[in-house]
Amino acid sequence: MGRYIWIRLLKSLLSIAIVVSIVVVLVYKLVPTSKVFEGDEAFRKLKANAKVLYTYNRLETLGYCDYLTSGEMLAAELGEKAHSLKPSDEEYQRVLQVFRDRGYTIEELTYNDKLQGTHVAYRFYNSFELIGHFFAKLFQVDTPNAIQDPNWPEGLQRGYRFEKDHNGIYALTCAGCKHKYQLYFDKHFPFIHQNFIHIYFGESYPSQQGVNTLEVIGSSQGKKVKIEQTFPSGQVLKSPINQHSRKYKFTRDHLDEKKYGDDPYADTTNMQEAPSMIFTSYRIGLLSILFAYLFAIPMGIWMAKRKGKLIDKIGIIYINFILALPSLALIFFFKVIGYRFNLPDKFPQLGFHDIRSYILPVMLLAIMSTPGLMMWLRRYMVDQETSDYVKFARAKGLSNREIYNRHIFKNAVIPIVNGIPGSIILAISGAVITESMFAVPGMGKMLPDAIKAANNNMVITLSFIFTALSILSVFLGDLLMTVVDPRISLTVKEGLE
Amino acid sequence: MQMTNGEKYILRVRNLGVKFKVRDRELTAIRNVSMDFERDKVVAIVGESGSGKSVFTKTFTGMLDNNGHISQGEIWFDGEDLAQFKSDRNWLKIRGKKIATVFQDPLTSLNPVRTIGFQISEVIMKHQGKSRAEAKRMAIELMTRVGLTDAENRYNEYPFQYSGGMRQRIVIAIALACRPEILICDEPTTALDVTTQAQIIELIKDLAKEYGFTTIYITHDLGVVANVADIVAVMYAGQIVERGTVEEVFYDPRHPYTWGLLSSLPQLGDASQELFAIPGTPPSLFHKVVGDAFAPRSEFALGIDFEEEPPMFKITDTHYAKTWLLDSRAPKFEKPELIRDLHEKMLALTSKGGVYGSND
Amino acid sequence: MNPIDEKKVPETQVDRSYLNEVFEAGAEVTGLVVRADSFSAKSVDELTSEKISSPKYTYWGSVWRRFFSSKVAIFMLVVFSVIFLMSMIHPLISGYDHLNVVNINDRSKWFLRPSAEHLFGTDDVGRDMFALVWSGARTSLFISIMATLITLTIGVIVGMWWGFSKRLDVIMIEIYNIIANVPFTLIVMILAFTTGGGVWQLIFALSCTSWIGVAYFIRVQVMIRRDREYNLASKCLGSSSGKIIKNNIFPYLISVLMTIISRDIPSYISYEVFLSYIGVGLSEKVASLGRVIETSSKHMQSAPYLFFIPLVVTALISVSLYIVGQTLADASDPRNHMI
Repeated sequence: MGRYIWIRLLKSLLSIAIVVSIVVVLVYKLVPTSKVFEGDEAFRKLKANAKVLYTYNRLETLGYCDYLTSGEMLAAELGEKAHSLKPSDEEYQRVLQVFRDRGYTIEELTYNDKLQGTHVAYRFYNSFELIGHFFAKLFQVDTPNAIQDPNWPEGLQRGYRFEKDHNGIYALTCAGCKHKYQLYFDKHFPFIHQNFIHIYFGESYPSQQGVNTLEVIGSSQGKKVKIEQTFPSGQVLKSPINQHSRKYKFTRDHLDEKKYGDDPYADTTNMQEAPSMIFTSYRIGLLSILFAYLFAIPMGIWMAKRKGKLIDKIGIIYINFILALPSLALIFFFKVIGYRFNLPDKFPQLGFHDIRSYILPVMLLAIMSTPGLMMWLRRYMVDQETSDYVKFARAKGLSNREIYNRHIFKNAVIPIVNGIPGSIILAISGAVITESMFAVPGMGKMLPDAIKAANNNMVITLSFIFTALSILSVFLGDLLMTVVDPRISLTVKEGLE
Repeated sequence: MQMTNGEKYILRVRNLGVKFKVRDRELTAIRNVSMDFERDKVVAIVGESGSGKSVFTKTFTGMLDNNGHISQGEIWFDGEDLAQFKSDRNWLKIRGKKIATVFQDPLTSLNPVRTIGFQISEVIMKHQGKSRAEAKRMAIELMTRVGLTDAENRYNEYPFQYSGGMRQRIVIAIALACRPEILICDEPTTALDVTTQAQIIELIKDLAKEYGFTTIYITHDLGVVANVADIVAVMYAGQIVERGTVEEVFYDPRHPYTWGLLSSLPQLGDASQELFAIPGTPPSLFHKVVGDAFAPRSEFALGIDFEEEPPMFKITDTHYAKTWLLDSRAPKFEKPELIRDLHEKMLALTSKGGVYGSND
Repeated sequence: MNPIDEKKVPETQVDRSYLNEVFEAGAEVTGLVVRADSFSAKSVDELTSEKISSPKYTYWGSVWRRFFSSKVAIFMLVVFSVIFLMSMIHPLISGYDHLNVVNINDRSKWFLRPSAEHLFGTDDVGRDMFALVWSGARTSLFISIMATLITLTIGVIVGMWWGFSKRLDVIMIEIYNIIANVPFTLIVMILAFTTGGGVWQLIFALSCTSWIGVAYFIRVQVMIRRDREYNLASKCLGSSSGKIIKNNIFPYLISVLMTIISRDIPSYISYEVFLSYIGVGLSEKVASLGRVIETSSKHMQSAPYLFFIPLVVTALISVSLYIVGQTLADASDPRNHMI
């Protein structure tokens, strides 16, 4: 039994890895690099050789290629003595040849400035290298030796210790790690937070430049929230700073010292009022799945019980209507209805703290996943009613109610549970549509936004999250099935007898 | 054997008619059938698929499919006319409690997601008003009685953990859990393999003696009939065309259809002969059947067979047949050669043992 | 017809009360009018008895009869045909050019209400909406129909093969498990993004992975039908696999395919329109319903017709196709033909 679960889990993880690898290759190989720079202000302002250097430098940080200037090439090949070499020197040309032989493309800087005549070398990674690099940097472990700084404050001992944070709650802190707080508690979901290990998908670019993509979708948004708080120096300030986010800061200014004294962990982020993209999507998605089930299950059962009667016919019309209507038309249809009830047609109009902002997106998302659920449940129930065991139960002398309550419902739980992963996958698909249409600041809207901005790492991040959610929900759904269906025993074989 | 009251017949059917609505057309599945079932006897109803044998017995428990209804006639059981029952509430005191049914397919007759124990004891709790613990004890007793070893441990198992034969035993145990007066076995062994078939048939036979119920077998397997039945009713196109004790029907059949049916027993032919088959197909019951329904397929058809329906003729007190051949004006036909010495042939067969070998 | 039926004796003249009596064997049944030859043997020729007494049946006859018995389906077929013909023919005869914005500087041509000259009015740059909507519909229809055709062709071929080959099954089932569990919207968006926003790129994005769903569906159908007794019988009689697929399995798939078509075309239209609307699908250079709706949604308050006309056309295409397809799927299912 344990073995089966492990194999299934392993398969699920492998599936995620495969899908993400494909996305990585597609994104890096097929999207023209020119598109990547379209949204970059800095790039637009640059000219001549500097622009060329910026381009390759940026491509290297984005993970497209390996890039070296002539200085770097020479230093790599010849060590210290290389500095004096000129492009006309034989040795210089030899180094270029070495890199050429290694598969690098050598480009001469042609614009007329002091760099003219020197060379740069770059080599775009092949698909396997891209995937390799992606997974190599995927997990980032924070250790007390992570920070190597010549200006490391003397007297500061590397290592972990327990101390009270600014709220007076004990937390595990670390000196030498990137993050000061390795393990801490606060009142925000999920209440326990860690910084030992981070998943890293690269930096967001060109929008929200330089920020870790997961941080973009995982941290709060909107207006800064200022609260009165005490800093380690004893200073009390009304500030939006989130002290738990303290990271090592290499160059500190006097403001930092005022707050943190000589503690080098002064790099912080701010608290913002709106929940993060992940949380917004999660809230809407979960609510909608809940409502979808609350509506679809009784309806499906009711339709099956009254098969061929009025309610069944109405239900079938509803199912077909929702399935046939393009989602865009459906959404506008509901926007028009919502308008009558003073519901906003865009989420930000009333914002995250007003419940009315959620009604339409949640309702639409729920409605979009009901037809499949209803249809399936109805068909299943109808099948059950004509099945032999129900016939036999009737012959046993059980009343209709007893047959329903004792026999059919227990069977009907199976498709309900079985449908949960599907609903989650649908909710994700639906989230992209509804969030875009209602401008909900969630992950679903982020995907088209990232695509339009050619924010490659963000696209990959979201693909990863959506894929992982879907595949893991299928996995969990299967596990749940084994609980409700006695016929499924967890063996390495197909499971069903 | 016990006689609960003085009545000879436990169930009396008079002029029963059953019609089905299929799309916008009407199908007459049972056409004016009358038959009395003697208490404690084993009655076998035989006939081809679609002859109406299942539909006929379904009317005894009100289990007709939704598109079917009793169009005429009476079914007298326990002082009540079952044909008048309209709601499920009426049926609850009959179905399962007094008339139980065992269906064809034991593989699907049990709820796959409920334990065996639950499915047996719920009937006991419902019909006999026992407590859960009491019901469990009785269920285990029953399970042991129908031949399950280690019943205590298997009580909490699920149907998929049982073999086909074991499941059919459970189905029988459930059917008998409330001590019914009539047990209808709707082809109870068709889905089972040959050895298991024999065991199940034997089990039902033994239980009938022990529990004292009347058994109605529905089958197209004449071997089973010869082995277990006291009385045989042959159905064709929604009617009983011949009825009698098993000896009478097997050794002195009168209806051409019965002749055909017996001739087509594969056990009778020897390797050199071609197997006998009744030509043609049964009539469509969507149309009104004129005359004798079997006439178009019969080599013994008379002119009148195509015009008028034959009445029931009485051959002995127990033996009846519905064919014009028994009218005084009809020519005398000999029954087909193949079945003339059926008695000897059957004896020869049964002495070999096997499925149809009998223990008595 | 039933051979017996032909010789009907007038019902009313015959008294059949004798049927309720039981006669002694060998007695004479009284109360019955008989002819002289009534009790003489009558041979039945085998052909008559072998004739199956059920009405004539042809597959396509039944399909069309069932289809045309649904008034809604006929209405929707008419609706779809009109839209289809308009979108296919109108752009050809009007010579309309989506990129031609001659009236962009002529304020008097902007936002014209629907009139005899401009049936659907004009948009914010003075283009005729009537022409714009039809060429948009043409693009949407083209994309969805092509994507469906590609999906079906690959899906059916692979699915048939998949259903028959155990070795292929092992690999395909793993691939299927991966693809089926990834949200389709994600796949389409990523592929549309990475391949660039042309018509054929979008067709590729829509059909790139969806064929595997069809193939899986077909595989299951094939597996169910493959081992049916009549196919085993046919095989025993020497039919080749190809012949069995063609004659015994494919007809059953017609209904299945119709179901897929009626589900896929509207869903592809929905995707195309949505993607173009949010600016991820087709580029501005192509006339598409999604783009038209997107640009005109900005003028929803001032010129609602601009917005609602393309939206309604989109909805009509989807709904009519869906209902026609579903009805046809029902009608072409041989199981619905019985009796």
